[in-house]
Amino acid sequence: MAKVEITVNGVKHSRDVEDRVLLANFLREDLGLTGTHIGCDTSQCGCCTVHVDGLAVKSCTMLAVQANGANVVTIEGMAKNGALHPIQQAFTECHGLQCGFCTPGMIMAVAGLLKYNPNPTDEQICHGLEGNLCRCTGYINIVKAVKRSAELMSGKK
Amino acid sequence: MYPFSYVKAKSLKEAGEFLAAHPDAKLLAGGMTLIPTLKARLAQPSHLVDIGGLAELAGIKEGAGKLLIAGGTRHHEVATSDAVKKAIPALAYLANLIGDPQVRNRGTIGGSVANNDPAADYPAAVLGLGATVVTTRREIAAEDFFQGMFTTALAPGEIVVRLVFPVAKRAAYAKFPHPASGYAMAGVFVAETATGVRVAVTGAAPGVFRWKEAEAALGRNFNPAALAGLAVNADELNEDIHATREYRANLVAVMARRAVAQITGK
Amino acid sequence: MEHHLLEIGGVRMSRREDLRLITGAGKYASDWNLPGQLHATFLRADRAHANIVSVNTEAAEKHPGVVRVFTGEDAMRSGYTKPMTMLTFKGRGGMEVLRPERPVLAHGKVRCVGEPVAMVVAESALIAQDAAELIEVEYEELPVVIDPEAALAPGAPQLHDNVPGNVPFDFEAGDAGATEAAFAKAAHVTRLKLAVTRVAPNPMEPRACLVAYDAGTDMYTVHVHVQGVNMMRKQLAAYTGLPEEKFRIMAHDVGGAFGQRSLAYPEYCMQLLAAKQLGRPVKWIATRSEGFMTDSHGRANYVSGELALDKDGKFLGARLDWIADMGAYLTPTGPVSHLRNPSTCLTGVYRIPALYGRWRTVLTNTNPIAAYRGAGRPDVAYVIERLVSQAAADLKMDAAEIRRRNFIPPEAFPYKTPTGSTYENADLPGVLEKALKLADWNGFANRRRQSEKAGKLRGIGIATVIENTGAGLFPRDEVQIEVAAGGTVTAYTVSHSQGQGHETSFAMIVAETLGIAFERVQLRQGDEDHPLFGNHTGGSRSTVGAGSACHLAARKLIEEGRALAALELDAEPSQVEYANGSFRGGESKRTITLADLAKSRVFSVTAQGSFSSTFPNGCHIAEVEIDPDTGVTEIASYVTVDDCGRVINHTIVEGQMHGGVAQGAGQVFGEHVVYDRDSGQLMTGSFADYYMPRAGLVREITMEEHPTPSKVSPLGVKGMGESGCTASLPALTNAVLDALRPLGVQHLDMPLTPAKVWHAIQAARTKQ
Repeated sequence: MAKVEITVNGVKHSRDVEDRVLLANFLREDLGLTGTHIGCDTSQCGCCTVHVDGLAVKSCTMLAVQANGANVVTIEGMAKNGALHPIQQAFTECHGLQCGFCTPGMIMAVAGLLKYNPNPTDEQICHGLEGNLCRCTGYINIVKAVKRSAELMSGKK
Repeated sequence: MYPFSYVKAKSLKEAGEFLAAHPDAKLLAGGMTLIPTLKARLAQPSHLVDIGGLAELAGIKEGAGKLLIAGGTRHHEVATSDAVKKAIPALAYLANLIGDPQVRNRGTIGGSVANNDPAADYPAAVLGLGATVVTTRREIAAEDFFQGMFTTALAPGEIVVRLVFPVAKRAAYAKFPHPASGYAMAGVFVAETATGVRVAVTGAAPGVFRWKEAEAALGRNFNPAALAGLAVNADELNEDIHATREYRANLVAVMARRAVAQITGK
Repeated sequence: MEHHLLEIGGVRMSRREDLRLITGAGKYASDWNLPGQLHATFLRADRAHANIVSVNTEAAEKHPGVVRVFTGEDAMRSGYTKPMTMLTFKGRGGMEVLRPERPVLAHGKVRCVGEPVAMVVAESALIAQDAAELIEVEYEELPVVIDPEAALAPGAPQLHDNVPGNVPFDFEAGDAGATEAAFAKAAHVTRLKLAVTRVAPNPMEPRACLVAYDAGTDMYTVHVHVQGVNMMRKQLAAYTGLPEEKFRIMAHDVGGAFGQRSLAYPEYCMQLLAAKQLGRPVKWIATRSEGFMTDSHGRANYVSGELALDKDGKFLGARLDWIADMGAYLTPTGPVSHLRNPSTCLTGVYRIPALYGRWRTVLTNTNPIAAYRGAGRPDVAYVIERLVSQAAADLKMDAAEIRRRNFIPPEAFPYKTPTGSTYENADLPGVLEKALKLADWNGFANRRRQSEKAGKLRGIGIATVIENTGAGLFPRDEVQIEVAAGGTVTAYTVSHSQGQGHETSFAMIVAETLGIAFERVQLRQGDEDHPLFGNHTGGSRSTVGAGSACHLAARKLIEEGRALAALELDAEPSQVEYANGSFRGGESKRTITLADLAKSRVFSVTAQGSFSSTFPNGCHIAEVEIDPDTGVTEIASYVTVDDCGRVINHTIVEGQMHGGVAQGAGQVFGEHVVYDRDSGQLMTGSFADYYMPRAGLVREITMEEHPTPSKVSPLGVKGMGESGCTASLPALTNAVLDALRPLGVQHLDMPLTPAKVWHAIQAARTKQ
């Protein structure tokens, strides 16, 4: 058992966790933040993507103890004061989701992508989504949603 | 995952001492290979010694014809580093092809090199550029470091501190990703260095290797056409449900041509 | 196509369900928890065919935190051994299906890798997993058969004692004699042996289930993903022998299904047993690795097809011999979908005077097969459309012209096919011409030359397809509509969205029928407090069935409302007018709203409709460019013209098409479940080995609609959830073969991986 102190969506949480517990399970089970999904066990699908200290990571491939002292943002922390994050807005506008299971991880991955490349090309978007699988949309509207996100984030309506 | 104890190391020295005292302990850096391995219950370490975030393992430096990248440097940092882009742009390009964005945000160059996955990208650059692996105990030339699938010259408890890359005159990397995993099915790093042309191949065989015939041909004429008719021996390559040996041999030739073409522009 | 945006609470949205899904507030099966719950894990067979000599659970039972370990003995004692069958019709020569037993934990024998052998129930999932490793199973290995053709051979390993020759069901359709006569007078016969490969549906949500048992009421509450609560309930009851009314199925958001989530899996039945025996809720979340091994696979049909033509390229007859791999056991949906849907559409979109099909279902040491997006429809479309394009190539005819010449003409509808189905309506020439224009069919030669200049091989592929939808397992679809005193109108359906957006499109139907604002209508799916009769979501039928029933219920609401309003208005019902949520009539000219009627009484109606088959159809044209150096294929363009009847929500239809085409492209270019032939081990057990479509595979789809009216449903809709998959398999494969034919390549099976395409090019060049 280890004692961890992790700030999630701006709130500091202190918990005792087993050393082998993954960050994804810690978020879902210890904190009840079930918006972070687990879609595979080999670190490919990206459904569990969250931000740790500003970087998009797969929370299924990180121990909760490794996040001790870190600042974590999950899908639940994206909307602020009742207003959707522009990426969330873009995903619904562009019909970039169907079943919604991959969507939280997808949105967090897109947030990571746009942070370093606020105006990506189609090619760069596809490269930036290599860590995320979706089975419903065929990705066409997800790529559109990323472009729309970039527009919304640059202030275009 | 089997149960283990997590230990956060405060220094390389402490990590090394802990490993020496606990033969079943394992080092944890980015964890991009180790954690999936643990999740599949394919390893049962007694302890994980976390060296993530150690100041001793951070930093990229350039000078005197050399590029120094500390072992704890994440792929994303290498891919976006101005110093790397200026000194060896092919290395930044390669780093940006590793795994996916989330993996690049956590995986480290030291971890990748120490793991020596036969389909990893970094070994191609390390061997292709003739880099030196600096460990907590010694300096090891790339040729001596990689010893076949998941095997390196590292002794138990020895930790990769930094990679020292000689700055090449020009270099390029061409990769054909595995259709499912995204690892290299064939990745070829071509470099024109002070000591001649070097061609290193990853993904195709049980371990990274230098393609000497291609090096000789390119040494005479640094042009994609110089590779015409050259082929690696397919018998020594990997085969799986996604690709035959022959296909991999073809990919090595095609990727080598494309890497050279990236440099020469034709 | 127009993009429909809603304005909900000041937010621009495509769908009403989006808000919770984009904020992480969706509730999927694994998100449920109950106080005091235990956690289950399954020990699975690590070999494909073996006798179980012994299972020693002693150490596992003693492991701290373990509550109980169950084995096949428990499964046998429970009697949970026979899954439901939907094969209620007779086969060839009057054959009745031979139903293999499938105890919910393996007993005596394991027949495929991944089959559950023991279940550990513990205080935490990690403890259960640790303990499962302590179970010792002694096996006696048996010979393995993976290939269904090999399983048919004399002397092949036998899987089940009651299924001699590994054929549980043999089925035929059409007229063998007439077909033979047609072939006898043919000027040309095109023959192909095709593999409609085995693939993994892979909805992104792994399976999960939480079962609670209440001894007071003797009721099971099952939190699980469904395509409809009734289908799950019916199967659980059939498998366990418990009455249907003992199950309360709770499902909210479902993370994709594609047919795979319509099944009641053995693991769920074991959880029922454990929850009752242990008196605490039992939760199980599968890993993706377990999913690859045990979530039902799809397709796996191996077909010898022959098409007889006269000298002008007119079809005279077709004969298809199917070997349908069922895996080690029969699922409820696998055999029926693999026989019924292909036989219904065996003639494709063509007038083929003589037609015969035979289907042998075969058991192998592999994971069971079930419905997967299209469920036999893509399979038959793939076979017919490959044959037709191959025939065109054989006869040096244009691939569009051969289709034009053989289409069922518009005036022939309703068209009775030689296998006994009646196609409702279609304008096939109209669909084709629109698609040819959109794809610039005539400009292809130019584009091919351009590609050649760049060292690339270019091909164009066409598929014109039709598929049956509408008719369902349950003969009727019920919808209830309730009006609240506050004015909110709630519609209840059985049909359950797994991403299709029912909450939006069905609410649109109700709002439109009632003439009220969309915002006032909400949808509840599978609400166990409002039990209804009817079908799950599957077979592209939800809008035809549940959607139409929503419309009928709304109309009934108006009629019942009119009668109630007439009383209050002191008028004859015929004198009362209804518009936009209000009744008006009588001398007072007073207005009574729907909400007014709900103030003093429960104002609720249930309507039902019975829907026969309707036949969406379409033409897809794909253009591809192949890099001969690597064998990599790029989709250069993709055009669809579909007749899915009237469209309720264009955005959702477009999304369904995108997803279907991408799933088809996945199967064409890389997806393939592979078992080792000798050991039966699964070679594609994770996303690191199993190819999945990623962003960029299909970059753009140019879509147009070409609706013809349907009378099956009052809405005129035809359904379209599967057509993308159905048409893209043949369209894309035909395109690749068109690119390779000039080199002399005539046939390739999916998946058209870079390695396979490269090898084909090498082999052809060596021959030349």
